[in-house]
Amino acid sequence: MGSNPVEDNNAMSIVSELLTRPGVIAAGEYAYRGDRFSYRGALSEEHARIASIMCRATTMGISMEGAMLDALCPDSGLHPPRGWVVRGPGQTVCVVANVFCLFDNAQGSLNAILACMREALDNRSQDLI
Amino acid sequence: MATLDALLGLPGAMAAFEFRGSGELLDHRIAYPDRINPTLLDLLAHMCAANLSIATLQARGWEQLTAMRGFYPVQAFTLIGFDWSVVVSGLNRERHKQSGQVSSLPPFLGVVMANERADYEAAFALLEGPEALP
Repeated sequence: MGSNPVEDNNAMSIVSELLTRPGVIAAGEYAYRGDRFSYRGALSEEHARIASIMCRATTMGISMEGAMLDALCPDSGLHPPRGWVVRGPGQTVCVVANVFCLFDNAQGSLNAILACMREALDNRSQDLI
Repeated sequence: MATLDALLGLPGAMAAFEFRGSGELLDHRIAYPDRINPTLLDLLAHMCAANLSIATLQARGWEQLTAMRGFYPVQAFTLIGFDWSVVVSGLNRERHKQSGQVSSLPPFLGVVMANERADYEAAFALLEGPEALP
């Protein structure tokens, strides 16, 4: 686990749940303000820190882009964003709210992992604080 | 290759679109014109093009820093919105690049789906399937 854990039992509960899913390599949580992160799984502390920073930056960017989209085309069903996914040929990173999950495509199911994350995190505040 | 009409046949599909790497909207199909219009798809295409580029930068950096493999080249980017999701893929372009056909790259493809019915794996299968090979 990271040395600066985010104190959120619900988030750590979903992180633990994700790690039981097939193909999940690592999962974790980051603070929106960027000063803390925690994780579990097969990543080094430094790599988890880098992953947290990239996930946070992308989440903040998408939030800004979603707000711009909503200003220009209101009531689209896209705003506010709940998360995002980047899929590579072998691995996928999935982020909902401030929780990230890294999994192997050959073993993991995005539909199942996303359903698990959304069930746990959909009610989380959309305020990025 | 996956067609806009085929993408519109996915569960919960609301619109399908294709766009250049610059984000310019090239073509589209809209199943719910009362909810989605070409202006929204054009903005969405620019947003997705930008995020595919950023994801590619991050994937290359991540693989260099960690020696882990599996993210590059980025095959798809998905935005999970409040009620809708958008899945876009540039895999067909990568296949063209790898086969040396860099002078005639196909467009990126995307589909907008209602979250409650969205099947992300079906969208990937359609966007990345072998029928998409040049």
